[in-house]
Amino acid sequence: MIAAGFPLLSCLILLPLLGALVTGLCKELNSAKRVALGFAVIELMIALFLVSAFDINQGSRFQWVEHYAWIPSLNIDFIVGVDGISLLFLPLSALLTVLTILASWNSVTTLTRFHFALLLVLEGITLGVFSALDMMLFFLFWELTLPPIFFLIGLWGMGPHRRAAALKYTLYMLFGGVPLLFAIIMLGMNHAVQAGGHIPEDLSFSFPILLSTPLPENLQPVILLLLLLGFGVKAPLIPFHTWLPTTAMEAPTQMTALLTGLKLGVFGILRFALPLAPSAAIEYSWIIGILGVTTLIYGSLIAIKQTNLRSILAYASLSHVGLVIVGISAFNMQGIQGAIFQLLNFTLIASCLMLMAGFIQHRIGSTEIIHLGGLAKTMPRLATPFFLFAFASIGVPGTSGFPAELLLFIGVLDTYPSLAITAMLGAIIGATYIINFMRRAFWGPAVNADIVDADDLKSRELAILCIPAVLVLIFGLFPNLILNIHYQAAEKWLLQLNSPVKAKIIAPDSPVRSSQ
Amino acid sequence: MANWACLIPLFPLIAAVMIGLGCFSGLLPSLASERITAKLAVWSLSLSCLLALGLLTAFLPGYQTHEHAQFVWLQSGDLQLPLRVTVNSLNLVLAGLFSIIFVIVARFSVNYMHKERGFHRFFSILCLFAAAMFLLVLSGSALSAFMGWEIAGICSFLLIAYAYDRPVAANNAARAFITNRVGDAGFLMGIGLSLHWIGSANWQDINEGAADLLGNDAVILALCFSVAAFAKSAQIPFSPWLSRAMEGPTPSSAVFYGAIMIHAGVIVILTLQPLFEAAPLAMGVIAVVGLLTAFYGWFSGLTQTDIKSSLVFSVQAQIGLMFLECGLGFWQLAAWHLGAHTLVRSYQFLTAPSILHNAHDNPVRTVPSFLAVRPGLFAAAQQRLWLEPAIEWVVVKPVRRLARDLSFFEIRFVDPLLGSPAPAIRAISTLTQIEERKIGARLDNDEDRFATGSGLAGKLTEWSAGLVNWFEYHFVLRGVGKESIKYGRKLGKSANKLEQILQMPRYLVIFVLISLLIAS
Repeated sequence: MIAAGFPLLSCLILLPLLGALVTGLCKELNSAKRVALGFAVIELMIALFLVSAFDINQGSRFQWVEHYAWIPSLNIDFIVGVDGISLLFLPLSALLTVLTILASWNSVTTLTRFHFALLLVLEGITLGVFSALDMMLFFLFWELTLPPIFFLIGLWGMGPHRRAAALKYTLYMLFGGVPLLFAIIMLGMNHAVQAGGHIPEDLSFSFPILLSTPLPENLQPVILLLLLLGFGVKAPLIPFHTWLPTTAMEAPTQMTALLTGLKLGVFGILRFALPLAPSAAIEYSWIIGILGVTTLIYGSLIAIKQTNLRSILAYASLSHVGLVIVGISAFNMQGIQGAIFQLLNFTLIASCLMLMAGFIQHRIGSTEIIHLGGLAKTMPRLATPFFLFAFASIGVPGTSGFPAELLLFIGVLDTYPSLAITAMLGAIIGATYIINFMRRAFWGPAVNADIVDADDLKSRELAILCIPAVLVLIFGLFPNLILNIHYQAAEKWLLQLNSPVKAKIIAPDSPVRSSQ
Repeated sequence: MANWACLIPLFPLIAAVMIGLGCFSGLLPSLASERITAKLAVWSLSLSCLLALGLLTAFLPGYQTHEHAQFVWLQSGDLQLPLRVTVNSLNLVLAGLFSIIFVIVARFSVNYMHKERGFHRFFSILCLFAAAMFLLVLSGSALSAFMGWEIAGICSFLLIAYAYDRPVAANNAARAFITNRVGDAGFLMGIGLSLHWIGSANWQDINEGAADLLGNDAVILALCFSVAAFAKSAQIPFSPWLSRAMEGPTPSSAVFYGAIMIHAGVIVILTLQPLFEAAPLAMGVIAVVGLLTAFYGWFSGLTQTDIKSSLVFSVQAQIGLMFLECGLGFWQLAAWHLGAHTLVRSYQFLTAPSILHNAHDNPVRTVPSFLAVRPGLFAAAQQRLWLEPAIEWVVVKPVRRLARDLSFFEIRFVDPLLGSPAPAIRAISTLTQIEERKIGARLDNDEDRFATGSGLAGKLTEWSAGLVNWFEYHFVLRGVGKESIKYGRKLGKSANKLEQILQMPRYLVIFVLISLLIAS
């Protein structure tokens, strides 16, 4: 094992940025692509190493922690670390980046170097979001995701309104950033008040310290609301979701795959919003649950009416987010584990379905339902994985969707039976839109010459789909592989929520192993 | 012994995966390797059959015992969900019976499907289905039964759409699948509730715990499982999917809807006998639904002229009778009925193509005389009592309407209310706009509306920008005297800058931060 002091996480965050620089400096186009892919693969290897070296028996503790002073005058530090909840998001994001790079190998023809460099930059920043343990650092990474996404949507988008979509996305996210920053500042100030009231000496933005700082009852709902608002825009939750369909229609599909795959918003809710305002979260859990169920039903009902695969998937992604939120709102072991599992699951499924939409778009020139039909006959190698992922998205046993959905459902049934039944209805509607799309696009007679002449997937594209497909099956057959990793962390998460810190004495359980 | 029983579903599963992978990777070219696929399928099913029969003979002496084998599949906190295989008399007899039919059907299909384009696909799905059915039959817990249940549903979906380039087949497959999803939801509810109330999803524990359930809990639990059973066994109100399912190739119709899968509902109810006995109301419901379905099947079957659809309705009627028997408490009778029906029906389905062939045509059967003289009744029978349109009207249409309304709401209200930046959208994005500009139409040009937005946020920004702009234009720029103009301009510029800065949320937050710092 590598020495505990080795700054593995900073490497993970900085390596893609370095990769982006090298990619941008490459003279030849092909070597630039290879360099980008190489960096992404190395990144994935490191992330996998991280998983294998992670101590599951101490999964509730932050591991690989690094701590450097950053802005000492405000006590803002550079702290990164992962625990059982965030661990698996790292390799999955790295995997997604590899897949995205492979998927855009030939489809990006303008400003190619810039495109691949931006993808790497986005990867580094995203890993930063998942591993940041200082709220200010987190916020920095959170906002830094915007520039690369803005350019990726605006410059390489496929729709006529791509610039507007990029602008819309950015404005929405900036809007979400305001309450987030506000909440973070309030939390930091609260710590200062609790610790003695000297500003700025007593300020603290370290997440573990803030977790063990008692928050006055009257502040809790405010903080919860602000954080939910901030993360809800990104998640997305209704009514802040309208950027998602626009983006899905205008952005390049590999970009949308990344956007729907990286569930940053829900991660934020899970990681920060609820544990930081625990008693408000418990008190208003039913509102969160209703919000989730509304999002779930709303998203899946609208998805029925959509005629374009990309917007179907966008609304499906919305309803998936709703399902996860419902699971979280149960506040019990099954609910939270199901929610985390489902998040990881949707990261794989949503992004792969979106990538496949890209393959269809690339070949047929449209993902509109009236232009599709009979794809299964000419493209069986596309149809098979599509069916697998579609089945996984509706939770068919044998795929990873089933254990996740089952756990979620059992958890919610324990706390809110009525929400569970409604969520069940949502699952039936969910089957409707995806099955209907499969029926009309893949089955039936071929509707035009493009489909008859379409090439099936090339081996590069097939390889992109095979890795997630295998993962979906493995996780479905052996769900304990995933559940064991975040079991301890989920237990601690529940403990924090159910017995919030009341005392004024602050005893941080020193998860911070200073590497200095 | 139960460990051996685990192998029964495993053989066909392996065969299904091998054929499926071979087909997908192109290692099994269509015609040349038909023999390999056929051998894999028939041999794996025969092995399962031998094993099932062997276990049955070994087991019969110790008639009353139960044996379990389990593997912890999922663990979350104190919730432990094992995959469990149980060996008892009902299980083994059914597994033996089904395995014989599977072997026969597989052997039959080797010739029947010869030179078909989807030969490998058919056998892969058939083997997967066999594995799912064995898992369902042998399972010792609701969870593993549900896995088999759902995978069998998927296989049925894929085989109804076997000839997927026919839109009817594809349409019917989707219909059947979605109808079955409702039943699956019932099953999942059943699992969830039994975990909630009894603390276990094992069949045995559910049955033992049923007596201790409070109030209506047992009834609710039993009804959840009955909904699942009704959907899978095509009882009223789920009946119409069955006649749609006949699009698949004949051997698959035989195993799915004639002999095996259609009985899954009855099997679950037989397995849960003690639970149902603790819930008399649920038994009444099954009896009524069974009776209604039996009548529905008999009555609609009267006017069927096609051999497969007449078989379908008689299947439905018979299964309705089985539900009725269960509901009335004749459990043994229902079990025997199930076994006998399986045998007869698989024979009938498999010989149907030869009968058609020998009769050279589809001879039209005469309608019974009492129907022939009553046009109203005849129409009712032919329209299958309007069950499908009724369901369409009660369930499907409202959902569609709701979806339409919501999507209208989304486009008209949610999106505009939250707003989107207008100038970028107004920018030239289509060829038409370029043309319009060229000929000077400038339909979208409006000088004053440079900074516009839509929605709440957009309008707010627009108005405030307009206000400040007006202020600057009227008071600052039009001030009297040169000096004042000069200073006015300067002031205006800085006001402009301030306004720009203010519009950026970043700075807004910084101001808030500053004021907070001052305040504290």
